[in-house]
Parts: sequence; structure tokens; C-alpha cells
Amino acid sequence: MSIRLALAGNPNSGKTTLFNALTGSNQRVGNWPGVTVEKKEGKLKSDKEITLTDLPGIYSLSPYTLEEVVAREYLVGERPDGIINIVDATNIERNLYLTTQLMEMGIPVVVALNMMDLVRKNGDAIDASKLSRALGIPVVEISALKGEGLDQLLAAAKTAARGTAPGTRAYSAPVEQALDTIRSALGSAFPQGMERWYAIKVFERDEQVMGKLTLSDDVKGRVEQAISDCEQALDDDAESIITNERYEYITKALASCVKKKRTGLSRSDKIDRIVTNRVLALPIFVVVMALVYSIAMGSWTISIGTRLTDWANDGLFGDGWFVPFTADTDAWDEASGAFEEADTIIQAYEAGETEAYLYDDESGDTTVIAVDEAVYEQALTVPEPDPHEYGVWVPGIPVLVENGLTAIGCNDMVSSLILDGIVGGVGAVLGFVPQMLVLFLLLAILEDIGYMSRIAFIMDRIFRRFGLSGKSFIPMLVATGCGVPGIMASRTIEQDRDRKMTIMTTGFIPCGAKMPIIALFAGALFGHSPLVATSAYFIGVAAVIISGIILKKFKAFAGEPAPFVMELPAYHAPSVGNVLRSMWERGWSFIKRAGTIILVSTIVLWFLQGFGFENGAFGMVEDNNHSILANVGNAIAWIFAPLGFGNWQATVATITGLIAKEEVVSTMSVCYPGNLTANIALAFTGIGAYAFMIFNLLCAPCFAAMGAIKREMNNAKWTWAAIGYMCGFAYVISLIVYQIGGLITGEVSFNLFTVVAVVLVIGLVYLLVRKGYRGEADNLRAVDAVRA
Amino acid sequence: MPLTMLTRGQEGTVKKITGKDEVRAFLKSLGFVEGGTVSVVNEVGGNLIVKVKDTRIALSKGMAGRILV
Repeated sequence: MSIRLALAGNPNSGKTTLFNALTGSNQRVGNWPGVTVEKKEGKLKSDKEITLTDLPGIYSLSPYTLEEVVAREYLVGERPDGIINIVDATNIERNLYLTTQLMEMGIPVVVALNMMDLVRKNGDAIDASKLSRALGIPVVEISALKGEGLDQLLAAAKTAARGTAPGTRAYSAPVEQALDTIRSALGSAFPQGMERWYAIKVFERDEQVMGKLTLSDDVKGRVEQAISDCEQALDDDAESIITNERYEYITKALASCVKKKRTGLSRSDKIDRIVTNRVLALPIFVVVMALVYSIAMGSWTISIGTRLTDWANDGLFGDGWFVPFTADTDAWDEASGAFEEADTIIQAYEAGETEAYLYDDESGDTTVIAVDEAVYEQALTVPEPDPHEYGVWVPGIPVLVENGLTAIGCNDMVSSLILDGIVGGVGAVLGFVPQMLVLFLLLAILEDIGYMSRIAFIMDRIFRRFGLSGKSFIPMLVATGCGVPGIMASRTIEQDRDRKMTIMTTGFIPCGAKMPIIALFAGALFGHSPLVATSAYFIGVAAVIISGIILKKFKAFAGEPAPFVMELPAYHAPSVGNVLRSMWERGWSFIKRAGTIILVSTIVLWFLQGFGFENGAFGMVEDNNHSILANVGNAIAWIFAPLGFGNWQATVATITGLIAKEEVVSTMSVCYPGNLTANIALAFTGIGAYAFMIFNLLCAPCFAAMGAIKREMNNAKWTWAAIGYMCGFAYVISLIVYQIGGLITGEVSFNLFTVVAVVLVIGLVYLLVRKGYRGEADNLRAVDAVRA
Repeated sequence: MPLTMLTRGQEGTVKKITGKDEVRAFLKSLGFVEGGTVSVVNEVGGNLIVKVKDTRIALSKGMAGRILV
């Protein structure tokens, strides 16, 4: 017999950890409330007959946020056979508040008492069997993290699911009287088994439940009379009566089974006093984030991310690499550098040039060497160094593939497809995986120790100034990994307009897939300056701020952001499992895309850029400026000319970037065969490259993110408004940067678009400072907006 | 007086929660219940981190003002 169990509990009570332990599935776990925004299903490892549904964390069943709606609708609509209610033993009183509600749903409930080890460590004690007797439902001690007590929990849940729902717990006499009246007045309007739950909801005047019931005026009158009689008798409003009685019941139930040592400030409190300190909070945050991005993407000795990605790009997906500690790399660098220089001279001389250009991708500088016969003769004598003489050399994948293809005598066209198209395109994307994994790892650690929710609190004060709440910061931080979960994380935001604004602006944050773009241009034109990556984040954040201020002045967004309320979990040491899982999950989705959507589009792109009409006939083209892709790109490149990148390669890369941002780099590598960085350095001016980068960072994110926007907005008009806004904003900013920035650096001369740029700046400033809509703000809650 | 009047380290008993129904219900589900104790862990520009029923809750100034102690 198959059994359906639901896993319910407070946010951050260890639900997802328990779900993973039971199902062996790899859901994301984080130490902040609201990681699970959608319910997830999995079959149990030990018993495939049992389906477990992980519900988002909720504090109660009176929906306040969208997550609560998801959980409540599942429990009411799907009616699972049993509920495993995970309870954080370290704050058992608050956690049991939800338990009292779950117990009224007419579904068997088992309490999984989690984090008991922490309770014991604090010197407190909870008697589980006494608690079980007091509540009248099974209570099982577990440790979700260590996987302890899970068998007992499952056994209890299985037995419970086959049994009956917990007995009803009595409220005070006036309430019970009112509930009886409601039940008889409404008769058979309730589904079987849920009469009491519905009666209580009606008593609480729950709008959602009331909206679903169609009642005659007579019945409504009787119900209302019963409720107000009770309110009069107890001198409080109905909802408060229920809440207070629930807490009273909990206090009574816990009195005999909980022993607590009165303690002063906990360690978490002490850390919070420093980390959220009025003066220190921001500097600490800035230092932490700077450290994270420097380690992942900077150019320091400790920048593991950069080092690994350099290895992946130049070694694994390049010519090859030395096994660490086996090679004299300095000698090799010198020898290969000398050969490269000689090779450049030879090529230049044989092409009839008088100057050779040597691009140094470390410094980003190009050296000009005068070429004559003597230099040429000299260059011919430079031997090609054999890497095997310098250490243990492992050839890169392209080299291995090329050798393999030559060995089997592969057709030129097929080998070009495989080498330039597939290996080149997919490799360009995969090369950035190590860097991203390092970034995700560090963010996962911050998340797991509990710092992330403090960041939301710290940022609330700042975000509030331009109309967003601190809760908008979490989607944005998630979006530094990937915009899709970032947009989904907006569900924790209670107010509809705050949520819409967050969805519209989250895409501005440079996500993992945009990192390769930054890295490519920082390397090709700006000598790996860490300022480029830093400025990318700064621009992302500035775009969010500017958009916040501008959008807030429109009627649709006017009004104060919803007040901030958020639980701050206790700090704890990061769990290796959770951190690695979270890192891998984000990284894997990136790798998966490289294998699917990017693979397909690199093949299509390879064809489009390799074929075309040349000398009157269709076929493989010698010069890719004659390719189909070049023609298409050229036809629309004028759109981007005012932004400084009106060549077809950049145009096509921008368009493929709308499919997936990783495409920008892989498109570039297909369009500029050979040395990508050197070719990019030649094709772009500094300011043009920067404008290109800005446009691609800010314009509408990938298909996947657009899909997420559509799902979350649940409205075609708003979806297009969001996408249109992002693209328009990107265009305007990019144009301003190119025209005015170029004028300052001297790379662009004064032209018509300089005037346009100035007008746009004035327009932006006007939008920023104008008096906004001051009328009655529309305080629509997200919960209601979705229902509407 | 509103919770915002408490300073760091001070403790109070919740007397009443004001505001719209759903906000009140949410605050109560978080553990702010009449008669319960709240203590202020930290205060940053009016925003508070408070301890209630063994959990730490961050509240903006506006929200904290709805809790009377």
C-alpha cells in the first residue's frame, strides 16, 4: 500500500535536511528561512512505497506569505495520509504553535523532535515521551543532520498514517460553543474529516476559507453572531482568542516535560551584537563579500577560483598542462614565450608585414616588434620547446581530440565541427566551472553558518531608502549564483509590489553565467584587473538601486515596502555535506546547460558562421565575414553601433546571450576562431568592450530566467514589462557609458549620439528626482495577487 | 509603549499587538503573544533583533512599533 507523507515545519527547522536524509535526494539546504519555496516530492530510500513531500517552511496555517499558501493548499487539497511535523527542539514553544494547527487538520501527525543534541548541549532537557502523552501524538527524537532516529520516525509515521487523526483538543467553553454553532449552521459544507479545521478557520474569519464557502445570508448572520458573542464573552477578537489559547495550551503541555536552564546571552546573540552592530555591520559585510569575490574571481595568490579557471581554460581546454610540482614552469614559460614571439614574427614577415603584434594576456599589453629579414632569420632559429622535457605534461582536450581526429583520418568539415564548434564552444563555457564552484562554495558556507539572513537584516535599512526591503536582498544574493532560483526566492516577500520590483531587478545582478563575460573582457582588455569584476557587481547593485528609485515613483509601485520581519537562525559551524551539496547543485545546473542548450546552439552557430555564399556558391567559407551569421549580424548590428559594438560578432553574441548568458563567450569563441583573448583585444576598444559588458550584464537574462519571471509574475503584461524594462535600461546605460565615457577617454568623438546620451542622462536624473505618485497606495499582498 | 522604546539588553512583556489582522496573526505565529517575554538583542537605527520564545527575530522599526510592551 502506498503511503503519502507530508513534511511540515517551521522555516529553518531542518526539514530539507531530513527530506534529503530520508529520500537520498539532493535538495538545497540553507541556514536561512525560506530556502524551500516550492514543495518537492521524493520516494523514500528505505521504502519506495512511501512518497514524501517536502513543504516550504511555515509558521502557521493562516497564510501570510506565498510559501504558507503552498503548504496550506497542499495539506487541505491533497490530504496526505500523514504529516511528519519537524520541530526544532531549541525553540520548541514557537514550533509547537504550528503543531497545534496541524493536529486540527484531521490528518495523523507525528512530531520529529530535531536538534535535541543542541538542547542537551545547552544543558536543557525535554522529555519526549511525556511530551507525546501531553500532546496525544507520537513524538520521536531525531537528528536530521546526523541521520539519527530516522528508522523510529518512519516506523511511527507508517503506523500513524494507517491509524486515525489525533483527537480534538478542547478550547475554552465559549469558543467550543461558538465552534459547535458554526458546525451546525454550516451543516455539510465541509469536506469530511476537516469539519473542525474549517470551523476554526471560519471562527478566525479566515478570508481564504470564507471566500470558498458559499453561504446564505441567514447562515452568515448566525455564524457572525456566534463569533461576536464569543468575542464579547472573552473580550478579545476571534483570531487572538484562538492564538492565545493555542499558546496557553502549549505552555501547559510543556510545563512538565521541559527543563530549562536560564542562560544569559547565547553565542549567537554575542556574534549578532558584533555582526549587526550599527557601525561595524556594513564594513564587515563589505570585507566578507570582497573576500568571497577575491578568492573566487580575483588575481591574488589566494584566488583559487581564478587559478583553477586559468588551468581549465588554458590547460584542460587549451594546449595542455603540467602536473603540479613536476615541472619547471618558469623555464617552460620562457621557452614557450620565446617560441610564440618567434612564431608571430615569422607569420608577420611571411605575410609581408613590417610589424608584428605580440599580445600578453597576463598584462593585457600588446608589444609591437619591427620585422625585417634579420629578425625573421633569427626567429627561424628559435626551436619549438617540447613540454615533455620540462615536466609531466598532460595535453589539453582540444589537442587530444585533434590528434584522435587526425589519427582516424577524419573529414575536415567534421573535424572543424568537433574542434571549433563543439570542443571550442562547450569548452569555453566549462572552463569557468571551477571558478563558479569556488564562488558557490563560499556563498554556500555563508548561507550555512547563518550569515545570509543577517545580511538581509543589515541591508534592510539601506534597501528601504530606495523602496525595497531587506528581503529583496536574498533573491539578489542567490542570483549571484543563478537568476532562476533568485527570482523564485522572491516568494518570501509578502507584498506584491515589492515582489514584482524584486523580480524586475534581480536579473541585473551578475549571475554565474555572466562571470565568463566579465572574465573574458577583464582578461582581454583590462589586464585581469579585479576592478572590472568589482565594477560589474557595483553596476549590478547600482542598477537595482536606480531602478528601485525610478520604479517606486510610478503608481504601480508607490508606497512603503512591507515592514521587515525575519527569523534569524542560530549560527552554527558549516556542515560539509550541506555546503558541498548546495555548491554542487548550483554548479551542476550550469554544467548541465553546457551539455544541452549550449551544445546544440554551438553546433548551430558553427554552421551559421562557417557556411555562407562565397564567390557565388554556397559552402564552407574561407573568411567568416561572408558567413550567414555575419550577414544576419550585419543586418542588425546598427542597433548596437551607438553602444560601440556594432560588429556582427558582438551583435550575434548579444542575441545568443538571450538564450543563455554562457552563450556570449562561446559565441565569441566560435566567431573569433584562434586566440580568443587576442582577437577580442583587437576587435574591441576599451570603452566599447566595457559598454558591451554592461549591456550583456543588464539586459534580459537567459530563457530560463525569463521563464522564471513569467512563472512568478503569472501575467503576460508584467512579464513583458519586466523583460522590456531590463533590455531598455541596459541599452540606455550602455549607450551613456560608451558615448560619454568614450568622449572622456578620447576613444569616441563628439557625434549625434553624444547628444542622445546627454538627453538620456537628463531623463534619468529627472526620473530619479521627480515627485512620485503620492496617492493612495495599493497595498496588495502577494498572496492575494496570485489568487486574483 | 512600543517595543522600539526598549534599548539593547532590556526585556519586556508583550501587552498588545496592533495593526492589520494578517500582520498581527503573523507576528503571533512567530511567537509574539500577549503575556510573552521579549528581549532586545541588538538595535540598529531603530531596527531590532529581539529574542522571543527562544528564537531571534529581526524586525524593522515599523514592525517593532506594532508590538506594545
